[in-house]
Amino acid sequence: MVLELQKPRPVWQIMFSTHHTDIGLLYIISSLTFLFMGGALALAIRVELFSPGTQFIADSMTFNRIFTVHGTNMIFLFILPFASGVGNYFVPIMVRYKDMAYPKLNAIAFWMIPPAAALIWLGFADFGWYGQPPYSMISSPSPAAEMWIFGLKILGVSSVLGAINFIVTILKCKHPDLPLSKVPLLAWSFLSSSLIVLVAIPTFAAALLMLLTDRLGVTGFFNPALGGDPIAYSHLFWFTFHPEVYVLVIPAIGMMYEIIPRFSRKPIFSHSSGMFAFILLSIVSFASWAHHMFATGMSFTEKTVFMVGTLAAVPASAMHVFNFLATMWGGRAKYSTPMMWAIGGIALFFSAGAGGVVNTAMPLDFITHDSYWVVGHFHLFVFGTIAFGSFGFLYYMFPYITGRMYNEKWGKVHFIITLIGAVLVFFTQHILGLYGMPRRVFDYPPFPAWIEMNQIAGVGAMLLGVGMTIFLVNMIYSSAKGKEANMEDPFGLGGKYYYPYQRKNPHHD
Amino acid sequence: MSHIEHLDQIYRTSPRRVAKMMAIMLGICLVGGTIFFGMWDYWISGVSPASIARAGKVEITSPVVATGKEIPVSLNFIESSDFRTFAFNALPGEPDHNPTITAAVGDKIIFNVKNAGKSFHAFGVTQEDEGTGGIIPGSNIQSASNPIKPGQGGQSEFIPGKEGIYYYICTVPGHRAQGMQGQIIVGDVSAKTENTETEPITGSPMPAPELKKAPETIVKEKPEQTMKEEPKTNTPFTGTISISPGASTPGCDKTNECFIPSDVTIKVGETVTWSNNDSAAHTVTSGTPTDGSNGTFDSSLFMAGKTFSHTFDNTGEYTYFCMVHPWMTGKIQVN
Repeated sequence: MVLELQKPRPVWQIMFSTHHTDIGLLYIISSLTFLFMGGALALAIRVELFSPGTQFIADSMTFNRIFTVHGTNMIFLFILPFASGVGNYFVPIMVRYKDMAYPKLNAIAFWMIPPAAALIWLGFADFGWYGQPPYSMISSPSPAAEMWIFGLKILGVSSVLGAINFIVTILKCKHPDLPLSKVPLLAWSFLSSSLIVLVAIPTFAAALLMLLTDRLGVTGFFNPALGGDPIAYSHLFWFTFHPEVYVLVIPAIGMMYEIIPRFSRKPIFSHSSGMFAFILLSIVSFASWAHHMFATGMSFTEKTVFMVGTLAAVPASAMHVFNFLATMWGGRAKYSTPMMWAIGGIALFFSAGAGGVVNTAMPLDFITHDSYWVVGHFHLFVFGTIAFGSFGFLYYMFPYITGRMYNEKWGKVHFIITLIGAVLVFFTQHILGLYGMPRRVFDYPPFPAWIEMNQIAGVGAMLLGVGMTIFLVNMIYSSAKGKEANMEDPFGLGGKYYYPYQRKNPHHD
Repeated sequence: MSHIEHLDQIYRTSPRRVAKMMAIMLGICLVGGTIFFGMWDYWISGVSPASIARAGKVEITSPVVATGKEIPVSLNFIESSDFRTFAFNALPGEPDHNPTITAAVGDKIIFNVKNAGKSFHAFGVTQEDEGTGGIIPGSNIQSASNPIKPGQGGQSEFIPGKEGIYYYICTVPGHRAQGMQGQIIVGDVSAKTENTETEPITGSPMPAPELKKAPETIVKEKPEQTMKEEPKTNTPFTGTISISPGASTPGCDKTNECFIPSDVTIKVGETVTWSNNDSAAHTVTSGTPTDGSNGTFDSSLFMAGKTFSHTFDNTGEYTYFCMVHPWMTGKIQVN
């Protein structure tokens, strides 16, 4: 077995290990815990909006706190750590090195997450995951806001450390016989997303400090009363977080690049176009941040520039989709659970991308701006694409981590329920936005169309809850009592197509 | 397939091990959850320093002797059918539209408010003539973030602490501008012409944040505020002019309260001391902001907590200003 612990050790040895698989395991277990915690908050939001009036959240403050932590948690404590976990497992093996380049730094990067998570969860701030001033600077109560700021600060440092580690591991520690162009696409995805992190995060780190000193009343960077400009925060924020969207999605695409050729029993259609598209995405990701701010009174020229800059991401994304389809074309596909997740993810990626083009077109953006359309679009991306890829990859890794098989039937049930749920929730939210429902509201007037669509979304959210419960039970039960996996070929693919991560570095162990 | 085959034994996760991991995770979640729910409200109990700096300029009603007279007022929030005009009780042009309330200092005005419209509303009394800031604590019914829903209502009381014009408004942003405001005239109507307005909140048109929480922290500033409410000519001048807290933000000029008092009369040979009670550095420079310094006296920049003195040996009228904050002006008449 490749990925499991070499021999059973006490739990504390795994927890405080610096070995990349142990840290990968910690990342994955903690990110899944946060997934379920954040999912519970999402259900609370949907139940509250199931019909107009108060369901069980009596005031807007509580509601705001819930959606703030839901967003912050899902992005920074589920998606990013999950990707880091996968990268920790696979990047060293794929570049044939014994460990990450800096094992202790790697452990530090992980152990920054629990204190940051404690700050974010305990504080439960109320200003949305944007922390948009002037609200976040003046009105938002203490100390929750400061805790959020420090929590994100720590997570930013953790991301940068992780990114440095991946970059050095891939560029400097890969096996001398392995040219960069032959490095598997999953490792490539970590290389490009880490480069984005390195360039993008410092801006937000600076913005957080400025926000903090503004809150303390020392400075007025974003305080209009002191001559500051809240829009400046938006620019700083989105300069980090538009590229960050690609930081989230690129590893998920990398995971699909791992799953799809394997289960199509056919090599990747074009390795080099995948690499090219990754590089292209990481460059154009910096050309589009201000499309989040078309409605802030930008000049026509600025808007046009950012519209074109955003559209530049379309060819790169389409190259990935084409690559997936061409790989599957003519292959002897086996629709095991990971493959189903990957294909579902591609379908939703395509839909989310189509919605993204609408947002990008700035005249249409003014219709969708700040409506539920945006909520639907964003979630279709992060849940429909990134989480789908992640779930698929988790099923794919499962036998290699635990030495046991998950329950294939319940894995498929999980997929089908989740796909239906995701479509019900997030497609409906698009339409709800076109009907004019604003986002971030804790109550709404009883317009029949709004009620109906919120209830459809509520039912979809319940389906997602059921699906995730099945997932949780399946994971726990199977890792304890699942049937023993055939480690040569756990998915019964015939073993003709090699698993790159099984080509281990001879120096390993 | 791969030839690095497992010569060694394959280890698989055991139920025991999974149970251990679950126990650790659940344990952490339980401890965390206890802290989480136990301290739920604590984490939002504070106010940001930036918010205190803004709210510091809000008038706090001083305790008054109640007259015992009660004035019940019923108000209904209504909207025109096209939602362009909002009002209390009746649309503009109809009788009983935004009724004006007259009261004396110390009267208890009891508001009985009902949302008879279709939109969300909230109620409050303020002294500011625009915006939704400066809501007097206790006079509000619900708030913009937790408004009165259609069909619901509420009750609140307001005891005016001093003469002047107050406004009862809808505190949901925008609604006041659409017509949801009425006057409360307290005491002599001529009070209107006097400078009894409180300092307005300046800067952004945002509603003042969480005013209810602010009073404890700013009560300290009250002595100065009571002083400046007196008509200017009666101000007992002690020789010290205070640079008021928050003067570094434009807005104090509207009420001439950047320097307190801003207009003093002294005799020849007397010394005036300026005390910087603001958190920022200021200057006291003779002249006017438009024409610049005329060289009679200049403190140059002096820090918070420091003072500057100048002795006036000639009669005349001296205007002075702060070179850093040109809206801060004052005048000294030397006889």
